[in-house]
Amino acid sequence: MNNTAYFPGCSLKAEASDYERSAAAVMEALGQPLEELERWTCCGTVYSLTDDDLMHQLASVRNLIRAQECGAEEIVTLCSMCFNTLKRSKVFIEQDAARLETVNAFMDEEPDYEGGIEVFHLLEILRDQVGFESIEGRVTRPLSGLRVAPYYGCTLLRPREIGIDEPDTPMILQDFIRTLWATPVEFAFQAECCGTYQIVDTPEMVLEKSHRILSSAMRAGAEVMVTSCPLCMHNLRLCYEELRSSLPEKRELSIVYWTQLAAIAFEVETGELPASMDKLLEGLPTSMELVR
Amino acid sequence: MSIPSENTIRIYVMGSAYEVPRGLTIMDAMEHAGWRFTRGAGCRSGFCGACSTVYRHEGDYRLRFVLACQTEAEDGMYLVQLPFTPAPRVSYTLAALNPDENVLLQHYPEIARCVSCNTCTKACPQDIEVMDYVQAALRGDIAQTASLSFDCIQCGLCSMRCPADIKHYHMAQMARRVYGRYMSPITEHLEERIVEIEKGVYAEEVDALVKMTRGELEEIYAARVVE
Amino acid sequence: MREAIARVEATRPARLQAGPPPAMTPAEREKVLAEFHPDYKAEKKRELGIGVSAGNVVPNEVADMLEAHLLVDPAKIDLSRVDYDVDVLIIGGGGAGTVAAIFAHQEGIPAENILIVTKLRHGDCNSTMAQGGIQAADRPEDSPAIHYIDVMGGGHYENKPELVQAMVDDGPEIIRWHEELGVMYDKENGEYMEAHGGGTSRKRMHSCKDYTGKAIFNPIRDEARNLGIPTLEFSPVIELLLDVEGKAAGAITYNLETGEYRVIRAKATVLATGGFGRMHIQNFPTTNHYGATADGLVIAYRAGAKLLDMDSVQYHPTGVAYPSAILGQLATEKLRSQGAVPINADGEAFVYPLEPRDVEAAAIIRECWSREKGIETATGVRGVWLDTPMIDEIHGEGTIKDWLAAMWTMWNRHGIDITKDPALVYPTLHYQNGGVEIEADGETSVPGLFAGGEVEGGVHGKNRLMGNSLLGYNVFGRRAGIAAAKWAKKKKSKIKTLSLQHAVDFEQQLADAGIETDLQSPMLLPDYRSKSVLERSLGRFI
Ligand SMILES: Cc1cc2nc3c(=O)[nH]c(=O)nc-3n(C[C@H](O)[C@H](O)[C@H](O)COP(=O)(O)OP(=O)(O)OC[C@H]3O[C@@H](n4cnc5c(N)ncnc54)[C@H](O)[C@@H]3O)c2cc1C
Ligand code: SF4
Ligand code: SF4
Ligand code: FES
Repeated sequence: MNNTAYFPGCSLKAEASDYERSAAAVMEALGQPLEELERWTCCGTVYSLTDDDLMHQLASVRNLIRAQECGAEEIVTLCSMCFNTLKRSKVFIEQDAARLETVNAFMDEEPDYEGGIEVFHLLEILRDQVGFESIEGRVTRPLSGLRVAPYYGCTLLRPREIGIDEPDTPMILQDFIRTLWATPVEFAFQAECCGTYQIVDTPEMVLEKSHRILSSAMRAGAEVMVTSCPLCMHNLRLCYEELRSSLPEKRELSIVYWTQLAAIAFEVETGELPASMDKLLEGLPTSMELVR
Repeated sequence: MSIPSENTIRIYVMGSAYEVPRGLTIMDAMEHAGWRFTRGAGCRSGFCGACSTVYRHEGDYRLRFVLACQTEAEDGMYLVQLPFTPAPRVSYTLAALNPDENVLLQHYPEIARCVSCNTCTKACPQDIEVMDYVQAALRGDIAQTASLSFDCIQCGLCSMRCPADIKHYHMAQMARRVYGRYMSPITEHLEERIVEIEKGVYAEEVDALVKMTRGELEEIYAARVVE
Repeated sequence: MREAIARVEATRPARLQAGPPPAMTPAEREKVLAEFHPDYKAEKKRELGIGVSAGNVVPNEVADMLEAHLLVDPAKIDLSRVDYDVDVLIIGGGGAGTVAAIFAHQEGIPAENILIVTKLRHGDCNSTMAQGGIQAADRPEDSPAIHYIDVMGGGHYENKPELVQAMVDDGPEIIRWHEELGVMYDKENGEYMEAHGGGTSRKRMHSCKDYTGKAIFNPIRDEARNLGIPTLEFSPVIELLLDVEGKAAGAITYNLETGEYRVIRAKATVLATGGFGRMHIQNFPTTNHYGATADGLVIAYRAGAKLLDMDSVQYHPTGVAYPSAILGQLATEKLRSQGAVPINADGEAFVYPLEPRDVEAAAIIRECWSREKGIETATGVRGVWLDTPMIDEIHGEGTIKDWLAAMWTMWNRHGIDITKDPALVYPTLHYQNGGVEIEADGETSVPGLFAGGEVEGGVHGKNRLMGNSLLGYNVFGRRAGIAAAKWAKKKKSKIKTLSLQHAVDFEQQLADAGIETDLQSPMLLPDYRSKSVLERSLGRFI
């Protein structure tokens, strides 16, 4: 195992498999293929807010132990939710020796967690370790003129201690979009919550939120929206179909994972794209066409 | 009650002490002590999961989980049996379901409550990685759920212990059936043979054999070429 | 023990080179059987004195059960109050019974008009315990005709030909049905991994690792549950009911926990109570489940059903001989079909490992008690080695742990690692070869009573081959279920007044024949309490 263990999380193996496929292809192209953790469990899904409930930290810590045991020093995730849960657990458990001890004592079938495994989102790795410059160098099909709205949602940015960028004025996705030669389209609700699991119980509320997010991006002129979270993706795509007729613009909005955008620009495996995205790309020359 | 000797041990069945010979399974030891099972014994060979037993060693805080028919009784065991698990199972029509990655979660949504505490694995007398198969189910990996749970004898101990009230073994049974039906390829020559039999390809030959005398059959048998 | 094992290890490389010893000639087989097989001891059997098959020879222990007093005085039973009134009653929630229930339903009987009654839990049965495999002639190199010859030869040509024909013809279709139920058969590159079993001339043993029984039965039970077929557990049948015309008409059950009886009226009854290993014939230990006590034979015989081939009993050649805690539990034939060979105290291979079961068992008994080349344990049990480490030597490391996990776990729980050391084995009581005589659709000699599975007689003749009873319970469970459903739909199945007169008459016959006995039957469960407890028992609450 190299230094960095890739933690997929459950959604990436099911509904969000396009996310994983495109990310794997992109990292392969950058010469740093993702190496999946051998045995992993669900991240815990929702970070528990009760600070005396160690039970709900077990899932995360167990994954940190698995990384530790295969000799990795850091974990990288794609799903923002997994990132958030794992990293908050790590911070919570490492802050207080007593907590760590209790959790280790409970999981006596595993080696102790010794602390110190870093948790990163893949975007951070690209920005801080690979460097956006080298990504730019790998682009074969520049996305010139494509107007892309960066949708952050909450879990990449909040709470501040674990966020990958400034919670109120994040730049990382915009910078990334520029790296691919596309044009970032800033909009007011880019860090607004998508409504998460409320989609099950109170879908009206999620629809209202999505309406705000989608229409503000479209008004700002976006043709594409990128996200880093399978749950946001699920809600946004669902609501987009539902709200189609009431959205401000006739024009279509293609919602894709940020790694899919990179895969298009690298001309590698993208996973399935929405039909509207294929249409948008028709006007964009491929490397072959550029050469000619 | 006499003191345990070299050839005997003392066990405690639901708190009461009994002296029994060494070298018996827990099941045999309890019978020796005078229990006659209706619950708690089935196959007596480790295949049916009827004899789920919880015990603790004198002086130890930890509960342990075994099959009474497969485990030798030891001195100082405090024993109780859990022969029934009130775990609901979900009915389904295998032929009609959509075997996609959500099928297990749809039927057993409570698997999403798993906190990865691994208590189920520690309770499994078959040494199955129970948590791992629940986790595989959660991410829609039916093949992995099926293969990790293959040795499950549905004893119910995992479900009795799970803080998230997950019904592991029912869910896993469903996973194995979905895998068997939809993901494991059918061998072609099986279908061919069924068609042949339906068409009566072998009827004449077998009819002739049916009518043969013992002597005739003996001759054919003796001339068999063993593959 | 270690020294004895060293002798096995010393000869292993040469034996691996040379291959197993050759199979016996028919004459050699006859000789070893006659001299050493328990079935050939005339003094251990006797003729039945009463009933429709009077004169048939059966093991003493079975005769004792068939000629015992009723468990309950019929006068105590009120037949006017019917607790369950169904179309098809299935007695026995094992393999054959559950298959019968599913097919009765497919044949048009609504789930709620079917009832499975069973002794313990639904699934506490021999069917879950099978390890090795199930036969079906589906490979191009094989055919139903070849399968037929193997079955007849194995059964000493005494099988009922039309039953064997039914079994070999239905085999491939049963496997397909299992596929539809989602049974996870072992496959490699999309093809079944089919192996030999004792007495087979083609590889036709389909397996699900060494959990074949469970892996087949559990989906079947799951399907019955999906269909909503009602099941009454912990309620063994203690007597069949007839109506005044002599047709099968249901049964009386006994609740093992509350002691209550229940009256079940049924238009058709399927007997699927399995075998009799727990009779411990000739004091052999057994591989069978706790409830394998010949109840089906007893109740059917009293109701007038004929028996067949009850003189022969199957002893599995390789039961566990050490450790004593698991004495008599099964060491699957698959161990031998994958290369393990029986070895004597001198480290010699003395028998072809895949002889028919009766021959293999007799040869092991001869080695231990006549040639004196057995290995004796501290508790005085004799056995021979089964050289299990050969399996990994032949097929590669990991084969045992991957494909024989149940076996590995069983011994490992007692500190024996069969990948490294051989295991000590000796024959164990395994299968009831004969039983209630049936016709090809499961009909018995009592109208309205059908039977399938280990309780039936005729399919396997005097000796069953491995893999044919799993097939048999499916084939005849299915046929019996369908025939029962068809019968229940006919006008003539209408039940007249219920009666236990046959049971009353049976008591009379016992008296008339001058048979004196303290025993009552069916046995329901063996009693393994220690003598010291029983001698002092006042039996107030138990
Ligand atoms: C350890 C072992 C390994 C085996 N391996 C193989 C193998 O590899 N291949 C193969 O082909 N065969 C094998 N067999 C044989 C095979 O498993 C059985 O013969 C077959 O499964 C019998 O099926 P059945 O339905 O007739 O009986 P069972 O499955 O035993 O079912 C009978 C049921 O009837 C119930 N019952 C009994 N009496 C009463 C009553 N009075 N009232 C109500 N219910 C009652 C029992 O409790 C039981 O649930 C093996 C058997 C054993 C024990
Ligand atoms: S016991 Fe329950 S919550 Fe804990 S790991 Fe197992 S399934 Fe998950
Ligand atoms: S997985 Fe659960 S039900 Fe299955 S054997 Fe293990 S503890 Fe028993
Ligand atoms: S009695 Fe069946 S597993 Fe122990």
